Amino acid sequence: MAAPQVFSIAQAPITCHAFNGDRSHLALSLNDTKVDVYTKQGKGWQITDTLSEHDRTITSIDWAPITNRIVTASQDRNAYVWSQSLDPDTGRMVWKPTLVLLRINRAATFVRWSPNEDKFAVASGARTIAICSFDPENNWWVARHLKKPIRSTVLSVDWHPNNVLLAAGSADTKARVFSAYIKDVDKRPAPTVWGEKLPFNTVCGEYASPAGGWVHAVGFSPSGDTLAFASHDSSITIVYPGGPTIHTIRLQSLPFVTLTWTAEDTLVAAGYDCNPVVYSGGLDGWSLAGTLDDTVGATKTGGTRTGTVGRLNTAAFNAFRNADTRGHTSETVTDTELHTIHQNTITSVRPYEKGADGTVARVSTSGVDGKLVIWNVSAVSAGGLTGRLGAI
Amino acid sequence: MSFRKIDIDAFDEDVLQETELYEPDPRDPAQVLADARQKQATVRSALSRGDISSALNTALDSPPYGPNVDEAKNLTLQTVVSVLNSTKGTEIPNVLKSLSQDAQDTLMKYIYKGMGMPGWGDVSGSVLLAWHEKLTEVAGTGCIVRVMSDRRTV
Repeated sequence: MAAPQVFSIAQAPITCHAFNGDRSHLALSLNDTKVDVYTKQGKGWQITDTLSEHDRTITSIDWAPITNRIVTASQDRNAYVWSQSLDPDTGRMVWKPTLVLLRINRAATFVRWSPNEDKFAVASGARTIAICSFDPENNWWVARHLKKPIRSTVLSVDWHPNNVLLAAGSADTKARVFSAYIKDVDKRPAPTVWGEKLPFNTVCGEYASPAGGWVHAVGFSPSGDTLAFASHDSSITIVYPGGPTIHTIRLQSLPFVTLTWTAEDTLVAAGYDCNPVVYSGGLDGWSLAGTLDDTVGATKTGGTRTGTVGRLNTAAFNAFRNADTRGHTSETVTDTELHTIHQNTITSVRPYEKGADGTVARVSTSGVDGKLVIWNVSAVSAGGLTGRLGAI
Repeated sequence: MSFRKIDIDAFDEDVLQETELYEPDPRDPAQVLADARQKQATVRSALSRGDISSALNTALDSPPYGPNVDEAKNLTLQTVVSVLNSTKGTEIPNVLKSLSQDAQDTLMKYIYKGMGMPGWGDVSGSVLLAWHEKLTEVAGTGCIVRVMSDRRTV
């Protein structure tokens, strides 16, 4: 089992990250108004460009692998599309922004390129999703709005592989599947399990979270026939639209905020519990497969009970618990590290590399601890997790 | 600084209503209250037989939530707490394991509600804390998060 690659990028939270097509470059934002573009040099990453055009915190970045364009969304209610061009003065490639006319009056929260890279979706706090396509006459990006029936901030979106359907997770506790068909851009889509006739803003499905949690993350399976969403009521739901068959898994641990599918029967989710967790299953049911963060080697504190997975499994927490249950304060706590690789909430998990069989072989995560980690998806450690769950 | 107290929702035509956040209870309030009374009687007879598991399962089944059912809510809270009070400490883990995940989440709601009742700390505080500790061991922190996020308050 290959160990995960860990890069400590900064002593600041990484809000979001995106790799370019061949993964030699990386764009990320350190919870501020700038996007830093890193280039792989040897075993580390060096800043080679800084994209500064936004004047509020960046919320999301996506990098189109084929057309090599970056799109950024920010709390300043704007999005920019960045493309590389040759600067005649210096002779080097520079990133140039193009404004997007989003027409939203609240923060943009999330952005993703469509699979064909000819349009992108911007989620926002204005209860709308802006579907943006390029207008060559005016040389800017124009937006069409998905509005109904969204009742609150949209927190995440994900494109169906057919370039038309879009899943959206919202703070009104619902995950929805919309048609984002744009006549000038898209060919007539073939019928899918989500529906046959798909004019713009058709709602193809609406699914509520089981206990009223905000939907933090949505994702279509590689075929697009299955939808998964993670919500703030510590649950993950997998929807098969025929029927529909809906599988809900209630977590023992803190909620997930991000997820990605790695194969038709497997997905990776991560969030407040600081370790990426793998689920697998099918139409008949889903279950926990294990964690990618094999921390067995790291759990060195003997202590009384080893405690729960992830965030609460720390020496500091155990010291407080000992003080509480046994009434004695131990010597000063020197070991404040979590026994996971990420030391704080994981904000984003994304597919990194595909294997020979077309499934995702590695995923990348970035977190509030300023770390970027690349994990091997096959290195699922069931023993570590069940061992620790059993010890609760 | 009076602007901080302005109700900005009053100026929003399209404000999100509380009722849009969860599915309303299909039963009407009178029916809910009748159900709660019925459950209380069933629980009493189960308790007199010493059958804690079925008493708790009955008490936690289809709990009243939403507006206009305050009496049924209080009645159910008392029913649940009466079961909790009459359980021996050593039996708690086994009783909890016999509950479904739904029932575990509902029980956590009632434990928190009980802790929030004024004056209850002296009477049943230690019982509620003991159940809370054991329930967290079985259902994890996720159970607590679900109680906090769920708008269907009991």
